[in-house]
Amino acid sequence: MQKARSLMVSMLSAAVLQLPNGVLEPVIPEQNPVTAARVELGRRLYFDKRLSADGTVSCATCHDPLKGFADGRPVGLGIKNQTGARNSPTVLYTGFNEVQFWDGRAPTLEEQAKQPLINPVEMGQPSHDAVVKAVAAVSDYAAGFTAAFGSREVTIDRIAQAIAGFERTLAPFASPFDRFLAGDKQAISDAAKRGFVLFQGKARCVTCHEFNASFPYFTDNKFHNIGVAMKGNFEQLAREAQTVIGKGAESQQAALAHKPGVEALGRWIVTRQPKDIGAFKTPGLRNVALTAPYMHDGSQKTLEEVMDFYNKGGESNPNLDGGMRPLNLTKEEISDTIEWMRTLTDDGGGSNFDWAQLKDLSTKTRAGEIVPAP
Amino acid sequence: MTRWGRVVMIVAAITVGGGVAVRGLSEEAPRHQLPAPADGRSKVVGLCDGETSVTVTGLAPGERMAPDKAQAVASELMGKYDAKLQVAHGGTEHTQRETRVWEAELKRVVDEGYKLFHSPEIGTNGISCDMCHPDASITHPETYPKFQSQLKKVALLRDMINWCIENPLEGPKLADDDPKMRAMEAYILSTRKGVPLDPGKH
Amino acid sequence: MPKYVLPKERERQEYQEARADLLQALPHLSRRDFLSMSAQAAAVATVAWKGFPPHSFQLINVAEAKETAPKFTIAYVSDTHILDKGLTHRFVRACQKAVQDVNALEPQPDFVLFGGDLAQLGKPEELSIGQQILKDLKAPVRMMVGEHDWYLDMGEKWREMFGEPTYSFEHKGVHFIVLNSVIVEDYWTEPKMTPMQRMLAMAQLDNPHGRPFTVGEAQRDWLKKDLAKVNKKTPVVVFSHSPLYKYYRPWNFWTDDAEQVQALLAPFATVTVIHAHTHQPLTNRFKNITFHGVLSTAWPWPYAPKGLPELTVQMVRADPFNQFDGCGWGTVTALQDGQVNKRYNLWDRNPMDVTFEQVSKGRKGMEQLAAQLKGNISWPSY
Repeated sequence: MQKARSLMVSMLSAAVLQLPNGVLEPVIPEQNPVTAARVELGRRLYFDKRLSADGTVSCATCHDPLKGFADGRPVGLGIKNQTGARNSPTVLYTGFNEVQFWDGRAPTLEEQAKQPLINPVEMGQPSHDAVVKAVAAVSDYAAGFTAAFGSREVTIDRIAQAIAGFERTLAPFASPFDRFLAGDKQAISDAAKRGFVLFQGKARCVTCHEFNASFPYFTDNKFHNIGVAMKGNFEQLAREAQTVIGKGAESQQAALAHKPGVEALGRWIVTRQPKDIGAFKTPGLRNVALTAPYMHDGSQKTLEEVMDFYNKGGESNPNLDGGMRPLNLTKEEISDTIEWMRTLTDDGGGSNFDWAQLKDLSTKTRAGEIVPAP
Repeated sequence: MTRWGRVVMIVAAITVGGGVAVRGLSEEAPRHQLPAPADGRSKVVGLCDGETSVTVTGLAPGERMAPDKAQAVASELMGKYDAKLQVAHGGTEHTQRETRVWEAELKRVVDEGYKLFHSPEIGTNGISCDMCHPDASITHPETYPKFQSQLKKVALLRDMINWCIENPLEGPKLADDDPKMRAMEAYILSTRKGVPLDPGKH
Repeated sequence: MPKYVLPKERERQEYQEARADLLQALPHLSRRDFLSMSAQAAAVATVAWKGFPPHSFQLINVAEAKETAPKFTIAYVSDTHILDKGLTHRFVRACQKAVQDVNALEPQPDFVLFGGDLAQLGKPEELSIGQQILKDLKAPVRMMVGEHDWYLDMGEKWREMFGEPTYSFEHKGVHFIVLNSVIVEDYWTEPKMTPMQRMLAMAQLDNPHGRPFTVGEAQRDWLKKDLAKVNKKTPVVVFSHSPLYKYYRPWNFWTDDAEQVQALLAPFATVTVIHAHTHQPLTNRFKNITFHGVLSTAWPWPYAPKGLPELTVQMVRADPFNQFDGCGWGTVTALQDGQVNKRYNLWDRNPMDVTFEQVSKGRKGMEQLAAQLKGNISWPSY
């Protein structure tokens, strides 16, 4: 029975997701098949600033379709101009991550969607109930919820499921590299082709940024310490960790992840395993050219900086992943690899929306923000 | 022909006094000229090929062999027959020279592979394959092709050899048809032949 | 868009459950693990976290019996196999990494044992580099010799730099013995091998013409005399490069006169052998003697196809992408009753603790350890 239901969810979702041949499907929770109604509702909620405490921030604020579904900033900028500690990852293809957040603390997209809503430095709502109230107050949503879930009742889980369903559809597979893989040998330059060979060979990228026909998302879904977090004072980091332990902070992983200093502990915050100190999730590389700056703290501004970082073997620290080592890439090899990385950008920046359909659903906007035409 | 079938045929041969008729299509069946037995307690048993025979001793006149003795005789006859049958493609037997050449060539290639496998000159950092793989242990060549997690794709043995040369050994990879590559593969495969697979253990 | 083809199913439910189990079990590995978030751990006084990296966390027995309380701890760094190929060579970096890790221990160990095979080919340059790196250790160092140090010049340089390879000393009521247990029968003089040829022959683990390691008659005599002065109730710890038992002869995981050496140690109440050479976690016990292997900093050996001691919980094979995997350093904690707890500080993995309590329970005790380690595995077995 279990298997039959999973199969049905898969088939239903497959019809909506339209993945290329042979590609493994993303993990879709059974209670949340990807249906057209849920996707549409999720899209509307994704852009709705009313979900934030002061009506100025929506998912699209930090995960902006016009900026590769990221925000171009080192770390996220939430309500009242507060900054967090983590770089906003792109939502494109994020459905293929096994867990969400740089430290993997959310096991599903649904769980991830719930956290920024109540994060004081992001959308700042006092509780999920406040979010539910805000959405329930919008009569426009009633029909959407009914179509998506069978009744107009608004719950935090339904909100999260709708947003997650929408996010799962953000997988265009429309990059020059995809066309190259499909057989168009002219789709990318010779330099990029050399870059792809380096990616799989001398540059040693592929072992963590896993890529093959079944899983073309450039992440092994594992956590590695490459030294980005560890350039500071180790003693200080240790002292911070001590306070974390002392307070029994298991339930406050999200808060820790945004606490300056402590957040550098990365995956350790979730697993408390010594080997996870300073380790962060391998991000995918699709649309990497759009999602500068790079790393979990946005500390590397360009792909050149990233390549130089890897070429020297990352940042030495006691917990550095043993796979990191100097690569001895030449300048030309580095530029070839970067050239290849640029071919991973989906046409139109991954945003294939009909802008006429998008409306800014709130009257408040933040100064300087690009607002899609109504 | 089943084993019992052979036994029956040979037992039949004995009881009719040492000859087995091979029925041709229409012509008269040739008779197998068997050598005469040495004494009254011996029998010569002939095979249906008209050539091979075996002398059985210790039999009483007219005695019918016990099944296991008959089986042993049958096996000996078939063994001789099989040896006769070692024909090469084209229907000629392998010569001794040929067998010696094969063994010498195999030894040469495997020894070359052994040398390379134990050589710090394959890489640039002084590490040799036998440091992690003494006696080619944990190479598991029989498990290929398989998804190789370091390469994140399906690999053959030589792909992994090259990966090891480039990564832990920090050396230049070998062309697929490089004699050195083939020699190392030969060494690994021959050393691990018949070793029970115990993944990740040795 | 190309037409979608339904891919295979995934066992999502199973995966979620296994993951939940894992996340639940990991922080609660042992009640002495200070990273545990259980109430017990929270109740215990926090340890000084100046000790980074993670492997430096000291074990403190919470509610142990007096006999099994720890008395003192020593650390070891072993089998560095340094090559003279520049200071960025991975073996050099690994040795430095171990030294940094040991130096970060809080409190510092009473002393650090170097387990042998400092150099790879016994060259003076290699030994020099190793000596320089070890000089950075804050705690005092006790040196032990391995075959890679010895057979280029039959120990001449080693003696000059580090003194006699065989010696003993007392420390906090424990009698420590250091042996040169890599003596092999001369097979190089007759065929007129050069020193480097001899060294290369000894360096090759799977050398089909190798001769087995021994302690040798001279050293056994020395040992006999040394032990004669020791009270039978005094705990004895023997440092030896070869295992002092017989594991796998083709790889010289072997001491040919093991029985005779063990016989000399038989009259003593508690004896522990800490041996190197095997580059892998190994546990063995025979009569009154417990044997623990130590890790190499340079590379891991696979487990041998035969002869593996029954008590050993094997580490999962190393990932060659990770130059430090399967390698590391460790500590030996002497308990009040003279037995020892052994810790393997595997890099990029969680530490592996083999306590005397587990060893004394035999296979069953070790199976408990294996079960704890199941959540520890970060790499598939092949």
